[in-house]
Amino acid sequence: MSVQTDTGNSTDSVWASDARRYLRGLGGLAVFLVVWWVGALLTQPSYLIPTPTESAVAFSELFTTSTEIVVPVVDTNLVLPTGVAHLTETLFHYVPGLLIGAVCGIGLGLTMGWSGRLDDWLRPLIRLLRPIPPLAWIVFAIVWFGIHHTGAAFIVFVGAFWINFYGAYGGVEGVSSELTDAASTLGVDRDLSMLKLVALPSAAPQILTGFRTSIGRCWMIVVGAELFGAPGVGYEIINASNNLAMDTSVAYMLLISLAFLCMDVGFRLFERRLLTWR
Amino acid sequence: MALNDSPSAESDSTAKITVKKVSTAYGSGQEAVQALSEVSVSVDDGEFCCVVGPSGCGKTTLLRTIAGLETPDSGSVLVDGEPVTGPGLDRGMVFQEYALFPWRTVRGNIRFGLDRPACGCSDCERRVRKLIDLVGLDGFADSYPKALSGGMKQRVGIARALAVDPEILLLDEPFGSVDVRTRDRLHAELLDIWRETDQSVVFVTHDIDEAVMLADRIVVMDSEPGTVQSVHSVDLSRPRDRTTTAFVDYVARIRDELGSPTETGC
Repeated sequence: MSVQTDTGNSTDSVWASDARRYLRGLGGLAVFLVVWWVGALLTQPSYLIPTPTESAVAFSELFTTSTEIVVPVVDTNLVLPTGVAHLTETLFHYVPGLLIGAVCGIGLGLTMGWSGRLDDWLRPLIRLLRPIPPLAWIVFAIVWFGIHHTGAAFIVFVGAFWINFYGAYGGVEGVSSELTDAASTLGVDRDLSMLKLVALPSAAPQILTGFRTSIGRCWMIVVGAELFGAPGVGYEIINASNNLAMDTSVAYMLLISLAFLCMDVGFRLFERRLLTWR
Repeated sequence: MALNDSPSAESDSTAKITVKKVSTAYGSGQEAVQALSEVSVSVDDGEFCCVVGPSGCGKTTLLRTIAGLETPDSGSVLVDGEPVTGPGLDRGMVFQEYALFPWRTVRGNIRFGLDRPACGCSDCERRVRKLIDLVGLDGFADSYPKALSGGMKQRVGIARALAVDPEILLLDEPFGSVDVRTRDRLHAELLDIWRETDQSVVFVTHDIDEAVMLADRIVVMDSEPGTVQSVHSVDLSRPRDRTTTAFVDYVARIRDELGSPTETGC
């Protein structure tokens, strides 16, 4: 593949424009690295901004050293490379919080979007609860569950709940009445069948978008919860900075970014497969 | 078959569909709009009936009431003498904007009505294949609606309605968004299907030409407040030719009745 612009063939020019785009992206990254490097070298005291190389070394150390963590519920110990160990700790509350929050949010969103009466009952309550930032619930997480996996999972749950709730609610509200009319002339006469056969598939794009958004939002929330002391990568960020090991903090930040990117890309692929009809 | 011009279409025992003094209003109080005002119509078994009228004359409301998608404020709709209380598989409906399920393929859309437990059909797959063939969509069975043209979408809409083998086919301006040439072909295909299935058809359109092309009988509706203005039997042999004097006469007569000749096409 070449970067030449004067090829007559259209597939060639698509390739060329793709290649140009990637090169520009790499260029942007390179410029950022240089600015970072120069900035880090010029800043005193030097620990304020670690250099890219220091950060890279710290990142590699996440995989060359190992750490022992406790697996909750089964209560066994596990020795893993340090970075993987702390990421796993985070996932111990991130994954349950996200999944339970998504299931509850989508469930309530579907029923409320579908049933006008339930909507009337709950709308003011939801208006009132919705603006509360998930992290504000940390006080209850602490007094109810203690600031450990369960407490952090609770905070993630709150965050995942609202995003998924609105995805499903909006999706079901947007189901065209023409489609439900068509379905009822074709013999769909129960609410549950209508929900399953028309509302759910019709709302699927919005539900999936809601879930994908919550994957990212919950990473922000989980790190916030860990800054209060729950074990995981967020805790390691603040722990390292307390020792002025800012390069290690940067390494963990990078780790979070990579973990999020993997999940996001994975989910996008899944989404595309599920929504081929669009 | 007997013609039911008179508003008192009540005691016709041969009628497949009897609409008795149906009135429907939208909204309430001062802003209430009378969509249908004591409308009485009957459609015979196996008859192709077109309902024409200007926009807002209540023709779609009439069709939806027969389908059971709307409940009239007063009056009733009888199918085979039984009052209609809601939608049913005996009345298939084809929608103006197709209303296909975008997440289902052509096959999946046509199959939708057959997947109900109420349907005891043992060879659904074969039936779906026959319908795809009937509406000329072989090769597109696994395409999603987004990949189809308007004409093809409406073919799916018709096949989907036919799948459950309804006795009555209700069509709401089905070819309104289809180009003229495709529409002519769809007219011929629809008439073929109708001849094959012996269904009673109610076809709503604003296009007088289309009504004269298709119908055994044309119900002309008038807006404000949604009443039946007249009923015409069309005594022309099929296939009909738009250029014959008889055809043109029918169109002109109905157009005159509807008033301003320039606006009736809308």
